[in-house]
Amino acid sequence: MIQMFHVSKDYEGGTPALRELTLKIAKGEFLFITGPSGAGKTTLLKIMFGSESPTEGQIIIDGRNYSKIPSKEITNLRRRTGFVFQDFKLLASRTVFENVALSLRVMGVSPRETRARVQKMLSYVKLQHRANFKPLQLSGGEQQRVAIARALVKEPAIILADEPTGNLDQSLSFDIIELFKEVNNRGTTVVVATHDRAIIERFGRRCVHLEGGRISE
Amino acid sequence: MGATATDLFYMLSDAVRSIRANLATTVFTSATLGFSLAILSIFFLVFTNINAALAGWGDRTQLVVYLKDSAPAAEKLKSEVMAMDGVKSVRYISRKEAFEELRAGMKGHESVLDGVDSATLPASLEIRLADAYGDPAKGGSIADGLKDRDWADEVQYSRDWVENFSSFLRFLELGALFIGIFLVLATVFIISNTIRLAVYARKDEIEVLSLVGASQTYIKVPFFIEGAVQGVFGGLLAMCILAVARYVLASNIPPYFDFAVRMPASAPVVFGFLVAAGVVMGVAGTLISMGRFLKV
Repeated sequence: MIQMFHVSKDYEGGTPALRELTLKIAKGEFLFITGPSGAGKTTLLKIMFGSESPTEGQIIIDGRNYSKIPSKEITNLRRRTGFVFQDFKLLASRTVFENVALSLRVMGVSPRETRARVQKMLSYVKLQHRANFKPLQLSGGEQQRVAIARALVKEPAIILADEPTGNLDQSLSFDIIELFKEVNNRGTTVVVATHDRAIIERFGRRCVHLEGGRISE
Repeated sequence: MGATATDLFYMLSDAVRSIRANLATTVFTSATLGFSLAILSIFFLVFTNINAALAGWGDRTQLVVYLKDSAPAAEKLKSEVMAMDGVKSVRYISRKEAFEELRAGMKGHESVLDGVDSATLPASLEIRLADAYGDPAKGGSIADGLKDRDWADEVQYSRDWVENFSSFLRFLELGALFIGIFLVLATVFIISNTIRLAVYARKDEIEVLSLVGASQTYIKVPFFIEGAVQGVFGGLLAMCILAVARYVLASNIPPYFDFAVRMPASAPVVFGFLVAAGVVMGVAGTLISMGRFLKV
């Protein structure tokens, strides 16, 4: 599904974020990426999402080379990839329903189909009773579930999550990862970056450890 | 990735939604556009009118010969003067016409002339010189030649005035050019900053849309529509300000300064121009300001 060959990333004036990284993620796999802050976890996810391009190396997603991506291809990549951010990135001025619907609207899905799919997704993340609330009226755990619903509603082939449990207590964190596990059981490839050892130990999936921009599995 | 009808529907509803949600910003941006356009328009209106009027004055009579009572008939005088080198045109003004012109020039104060004999003023010849004779030395030699005629009572040729007038015109044009440039720069600066702040306030929205897979078109079109709407309202406001300013100026300046507030074109043309200028500024400002937020 995702193949990275000798991928390096340098930021101007900083230390290299990724060095000679080679990684293969199979279709339908659930992978944890772990490591201390500054290890390169976020950079790695951003490269898989097209927010950053690698300074060197190749990245192939679903058989297509995304090493140097034109902006139109980034849009297509993002429509097939769900990204869950640590800070949720919800629009405060829009309701829960509208935030989740955004993923489908930008793809030109009809209003009728959008309504049906968003309602189904909100039930799935157990937030149907919060549809008309604004994000700031929700708890942190609920906001994260809205962000996950927004990523899942378009039925992406890949879910990337950057510290999705970073701001949540342990029981909520487990609930969120449980949700990803369910999605994964339906065949979606899931990549979760986290520095939470408890989660990794509890769910016992493949784990890639990053340290100073290199893999130390 | 062509936009479908559903895309257009979403983009339009996004534009309407954000105009309503950001009403204060929309009003503020429209007002900034309106006031800036109005200030620029008033400046250019007054400047072009005054400039045209001054150029007209400079083009008028350059030489006046007041005639003795014994002077020959008008036609004979005219053909005699026209035969001279450097004379472009000659106009004969009878005593009666001179009086009528004086009365017309005193618009509003005509009563001063009540009871004055209409034959008080002398008849005269107004002479315009060819462009090549515009400089004071050549014009002066013609004036001297006219003084020697036995029918000429007095010749008026103000060489200093001609000299001063042309240098004054040059100074005025230069001054207006500088003020115009500063005014245009200030307008562009104010409008671009206002729009940039409005777009900056919504950078999260642009970022999130881009992250969930919205195309550049999908993100830009609602902003484009908003920019155009602000431009239309800005143009409308500028037109209103211009109309009020023109009314206030016109009713507070002497009638002989009317030309300064004359409209250069019909109201619909001016209105169309202002709205078009507003739309261009609104849309261009928005799209330029958005550029850097789209790279996520």
